[in-house]
Amino acid sequence: MDLYYIKGILILTGINMIAVLGLSLLTGFTGLFSFGHAAFMAIGAYTAATMTVKFGLPFIPAILIGGIAAGLVSIIIGRLTLNLKGDYFCIATLGMGEAIKLILDNVQYFGGARGWPGIPLNTTLLIVVIFDILAVIVLINIINSRHGRNMIAIREEELASQIIGINVFKYKMMSLIISAVYAGIAGGLFAHYMGFLQPKMFQLIKSTELTIIVIFGGLGSISGSVLGTAVLTALPEILRDFSEWRFVIYGAAVIFIMVARPQGLMGGQEFTFQGLKRLVRRVIPQKKTLPHSGGGN
Amino acid sequence: MSKKLLVLAVCVVLILTTVLAGCTSKQSNTIKVGWIGSLTGDQAVWGQSELNTIKMLFDEINNNGGVLGKKLEVIGYDTKGDATEAVNAVKRLVSQDKVVAIIGPNSSGSAIAISSILEQYKVPDIATVATNPKVTVVDGKVKPYNFRVCFIDPYQGAVAAGYAYEVLKFKKAAILYDVTDEYSQGLTEFFEKSFKAMGGEIVAKEGFKAGDVDFRAQLSKIKAANPDVIFLPYFYKEVALTAKQAKDLGIKATLMGGDGWPSDVLLQMAGDAINGGYFINHVSYDDPVVQDYKNKYYQKYGKWPELNGYLAYDAVMVLVDAIKRAGSADSEKIKEALETTNLQGITGKIMISKDTHNPEGKEAVVIKIVDGKYVFQQKYAPKQQ
Amino acid sequence: MNEFLQQLINGLSIGSVYALMAVGYSLVYSIMNFSNFAHGGVIMFGAYFGYFFLKSLGLPFYMALLLAGGLAAILAVIVEKIAYSPLRRRNAPFLYYIISAMGASIFMENIVVATIGPTFLTYPNVISVEPIKLGNLSIGRLDLMMFIISAVSLILLVYIIDYTKVGKAIQATAYNMKASALMGINTDLIIIIVFALGGALAGIAGVLFGMKYTVYPQIGNITLKSFIAAVFGGLGSLPGAVIGSVLLGLIETLVSGYFSSQYRDLISFALLIFILIVRPVGLMGKVVEDKA
Repeated sequence: MDLYYIKGILILTGINMIAVLGLSLLTGFTGLFSFGHAAFMAIGAYTAATMTVKFGLPFIPAILIGGIAAGLVSIIIGRLTLNLKGDYFCIATLGMGEAIKLILDNVQYFGGARGWPGIPLNTTLLIVVIFDILAVIVLINIINSRHGRNMIAIREEELASQIIGINVFKYKMMSLIISAVYAGIAGGLFAHYMGFLQPKMFQLIKSTELTIIVIFGGLGSISGSVLGTAVLTALPEILRDFSEWRFVIYGAAVIFIMVARPQGLMGGQEFTFQGLKRLVRRVIPQKKTLPHSGGGN
Repeated sequence: MSKKLLVLAVCVVLILTTVLAGCTSKQSNTIKVGWIGSLTGDQAVWGQSELNTIKMLFDEINNNGGVLGKKLEVIGYDTKGDATEAVNAVKRLVSQDKVVAIIGPNSSGSAIAISSILEQYKVPDIATVATNPKVTVVDGKVKPYNFRVCFIDPYQGAVAAGYAYEVLKFKKAAILYDVTDEYSQGLTEFFEKSFKAMGGEIVAKEGFKAGDVDFRAQLSKIKAANPDVIFLPYFYKEVALTAKQAKDLGIKATLMGGDGWPSDVLLQMAGDAINGGYFINHVSYDDPVVQDYKNKYYQKYGKWPELNGYLAYDAVMVLVDAIKRAGSADSEKIKEALETTNLQGITGKIMISKDTHNPEGKEAVVIKIVDGKYVFQQKYAPKQQ
Repeated sequence: MNEFLQQLINGLSIGSVYALMAVGYSLVYSIMNFSNFAHGGVIMFGAYFGYFFLKSLGLPFYMALLLAGGLAAILAVIVEKIAYSPLRRRNAPFLYYIISAMGASIFMENIVVATIGPTFLTYPNVISVEPIKLGNLSIGRLDLMMFIISAVSLILLVYIIDYTKVGKAIQATAYNMKASALMGINTDLIIIIVFALGGALAGIAGVLFGMKYTVYPQIGNITLKSFIAAVFGGLGSLPGAVIGSVLLGLIETLVSGYFSSQYRDLISFALLIFILIVRPVGLMGKVVEDKA
């Protein structure tokens, strides 16, 4: 068991987690499906790298600028697409994702399809963990606020929310922007972990991976997203010994989760101490209620 | 309730397994060598060829006493052709599996991404068919732990351009390339530069995206520009489709490409349409030097090796030679020995330069496809510009 | 002018491929109201089935085509039973179906890689490869055949839906599943039939695609274009799917030929967004209002 390898996986998990947390606000709490979020990661990544490499900015500000850049782009995208319904929005986000990747492939300033090596390796496990904690805290605050409740209302019943006066468009836009900023920050951290960027790191498959994790962890649950990221980032590594069968198992696992437990790991609940106590009590039967129990009596 | 419990238990087990993932037992009488490449994904055919070759060779060497009295063991991981996976795989190889050297990848993107890990752990890597110059040299500085056994894209582009202009006397060229692929972009840039520098004219330059299967829009446009030669610097599947579609459209220009072409599948898929095409390769499959390996591979695996296999063969030879000269299985000593490599591989002379870690002066081979067979034309080196 | 006509032909021929794929997808959407991303996997299997029948069993072409379509239909129903039925029974929101569909498509693509292998397989030539020449224009024989087979399949489908009892039942279920069930229509059976029809179309599309562009596990990814075409034409509308596909094929080709092939997809997506802004349900989509 070696820490260097494990640390690498933990860093990647932590980075994914930030993007997933952002996406969970959009999909889990506001009910909008996006298949283009990898593009926001890409924007964050390339912007942050540009700041550190070409403009010599220090690391943390560069990451934040990356996040802001992603947020700004999301405003444009949101304006154009948030009025579309369900599947139409999905396809539109998918298109956006592909379009941004294609632009990056062609722009040689960013290395084009051949990629951009030589990005300083500033991301450490500590920094990622700090960002993760901050991300969770901010998200919890948003969810528990009036804004968060409005978003959940929109997810549950959009028409009714509109009737009682919630500005649906404004909240959808808000959740899109926040999710984009999160993804952008994750992208910036990713760029400075790999030291190298290529547009094909941000393909459709990455966007679908993120969405699958959100669903897996359970829509509307922050702890679900955290747990889900941990499990689903680790899964391909654990299955490494199975080489070609890795993704067969992964695909089957996804179907299984959906069929067996579609509410995801946490089922829309949060990880609380009471919940933990209840779970423990269910697992370990009370000695009072069972006539025969193992062990001394 | 029991279902919830089951799901939770499964998750706990999964998380624990991550932490305990792969504690390998140590045997001090083997030399562990890592390999990374695509075992799944679009380039899986090549990755498999490489890994098969290495396994076959290691078996042979071990049966003859091994190296320095120890047996060689290969630990291979799949990268899916993805740089992030490559990074994970290499981290596992160097820190957990404790390999002394790594062979592969064939993808330049992966090779570049892993360089910082190699430097940190001081483990050398020999890339097989990664042709992007930045794998070994970035901003004029050599990457101390990256090596390769193949020529690089600037060289390949110059060879293609030179052969087209000087030998085949083509003055007008068109290019169709994959904008999303690093290899294709690189080779296009160097071909264009060289061709223009010699006085040639690029009459059309069209692009497509990986995954596209229909090129007739671009080909119709190219046809209207009337080139002598169309350069197709990408991989055999799309080349085969392009060739067929070009024939459908009645295009008469000669087709030309790089080392992404050679594969039995190309001939099978393109059939008649690719006859008369030329491509640049690292080796000629008819070269007597490679027949032994070729036949052994066919006997063992039931199919002919891909180009990658030949280069993997030479990578193994280079590594084994370095270990012997270093006199030990210490990765730092192996790295130093690699820098002075000078041997004759089956793909040509491999003389690693200390400044670039590339095999300098390695000749390229021009192959023409005639009647569904690869026919060696000549070895060609571009004139210095 | 010549080049323009040739590009038109190119565009139409790509469009007809997209159309066949898009219709099956739109059909399922009209009933189930979700995007069946596993459709691509069924198309890919169709291509492999056809290859097997033609190459290993040496069956005549039309038989191989029909058998492949049949097997694909069965596969589609199996996917429905495993991945979607359980979700239907618990009234899961449509988002879950999409994820399950993705899992299915990842599973299908990789099981082929793991078992049959990733090498590209070439169909034996069933038709002469010489294109038909009209002056300076060239029309591939294979393209013509594909166009005809697509047209025939679509006409058959329209016939089934508009003129048979089963078709009427399908229309009713698409309109309102619960009410149809109340009227005595066996909606479970209807769903199976719809998936089977979609699957059959997918199978045929797969065979045609494989003939033209070879067989490989990643064929499912091409169907992304047909999803876009279906959205473009209006989800749930069969004529919309066809028109959307043909238009997409034409637009792609003309943009590639006259503007920039490098940025082709960018422009196509921009157009898609533009259309969706002007007409949010696509060209011929049914306007879905929330229950008020």
